[in-house]
Amino acid sequence: MSLTASMVKHQVQTPEIQLKDVEMRYPTDTGDVLALHQVSLDIGKGEFVSLLGPSGCGKTTLLRLMADLIQPTSGSIHVAGKTAKEARLAQKYGIVFQSPVLYDWRKVKQNVVLPLELVGVSKIERERKAIELLELVGLEKFADQYPWQLSGGMQQRAAIARALAMEPEILLMDEPFSALDEFTRERLNEELLSVWNNIQNTIVFVTHSIPESIFLSDRVFVLSPHPGRLSAVVEIPLPRPRTQEMRNSPAFFELIARIRDSFEGV
Amino acid sequence: MKGNHLFVRNRLLPAMVWVIAILVIWELTSWALLNIGHLPLAQSKLPYLHEVLATSIQYSGTLIKEGSATFGNAGIGFLLGALAGVVLAILMSISTWIEKLTFPYAVASQMIPVLGLAPIIYGIVRDEYISRILISGYITFFPVALNMLRGLRSVEPSALELMHSYAAKPWSIYWKLRLPAAIPGLFSGLKIAAPLAVTGAILVELMGAQHGIGVIMLRNLYYGPSHVYMFWSTVFIGALLGILSYWLISLIERIVSPWQPEFRSKGGSHS
Repeated sequence: MSLTASMVKHQVQTPEIQLKDVEMRYPTDTGDVLALHQVSLDIGKGEFVSLLGPSGCGKTTLLRLMADLIQPTSGSIHVAGKTAKEARLAQKYGIVFQSPVLYDWRKVKQNVVLPLELVGVSKIERERKAIELLELVGLEKFADQYPWQLSGGMQQRAAIARALAMEPEILLMDEPFSALDEFTRERLNEELLSVWNNIQNTIVFVTHSIPESIFLSDRVFVLSPHPGRLSAVVEIPLPRPRTQEMRNSPAFFELIARIRDSFEGV
Repeated sequence: MKGNHLFVRNRLLPAMVWVIAILVIWELTSWALLNIGHLPLAQSKLPYLHEVLATSIQYSGTLIKEGSATFGNAGIGFLLGALAGVVLAILMSISTWIEKLTFPYAVASQMIPVLGLAPIIYGIVRDEYISRILISGYITFFPVALNMLRGLRSVEPSALELMHSYAAKPWSIYWKLRLPAAIPGLFSGLKIAAPLAVTGAILVELMGAQHGIGVIMLRNLYYGPSHVYMFWSTVFIGALLGILSYWLISLIERIVSPWQPEFRSKGGSHS
């Protein structure tokens, strides 16, 4: 991918994910809580974006709306040219949660191909695909282990492999590395980028870590709380492939400062 | 192997010490009651264990025959009761309406004393085999249904959301998620119920059956002090049957669900 292409792609291409005037209210005993206020955004095909913000800013809510796990009070959501519900039914996205959510009773390889099993892919084909997926995340040696035999970081890698099983156009990730230690997290950031480089799909990554969002993304959507709203969109012009050294570059620190300044009312 | 060595030292050795200590104390107390205390009917209160054992061996044919009659019927009742419990738990987990309709009655049914229910059922069906099966099933049903229901409901919200993200059918969600997740609950219900099912079957036999361990238990109790060792043999056999049933369920659990936390070996984690 040439540098010019990567700089302009989200402007010229039809959006892979499009939100228009999305409003989300939760009814509570003391009246409605406004979780998201008038969010509109476009995410381009093949783009890596982060939804960044403190807790209570509605970033996870936003991701769950894209996944059609919840529905907005008002506004429209389009994913891969379909409504969010159609996209979910057509398996257009894979999702990774904050916890790995691996099923205890399944070996790692069986967990990874669970989505294939649900649509009736044959056992032979599943075996083949399991190895392919586990190789992608470097877990091929652990195919026959149970989830509890793996470390937290490895479990989350297995969860990523599972999210990629259906070869989805979109990968939705909800703070996937937030429960891990800093060292593991930085290593997995790098591994995620190399996986992304291989499959070139669209990734929406929820995080509360400013450096993580900068290191990974093409663009960072900055969300502010009370009510949850989009307060800035920051382009990350760092070249790819991203390296660990970039974390110490002046450009990186400048971006951190810019993003920090863009929060409202925190 | 190191694991075996540890098993012997940490598990087997303490167990052996306990068993031997209890045996010694029992025999000594028995001897004391008889020879120092000169209590009337001392052997009925606490018989010599070696005499009980000798009697058990002498009449092992009878004990095995009657014991297996009890155990067989209790087993059938247990299986039927467990099946009914599982089915009801699944129905209740599908529909809160069914739960509200049936649960209070399931609870109320457990308020009836088995001691009273057994002769009633025996009076109605007039068949000791069917009575034993019914009572064992009746006792098994409730703990299984209750624990199974709890297991079905134990599924984490995120595990369910994962299924929703795959647009999984309700049937798949049960088969691939809820039922496997309920296995630990199911087995705790089964483990509670299994020894109770045996006790229930013995209870029915006390109401006047022709076969079963309970029958010879009652007979030898009537015959008095001369049959005290045989009476104690039947008590021990009854207890053994209960332990055996628990042990069998535990073994099946280990085979069916080796992934459960309590079966995990230590130090298997990678970094």
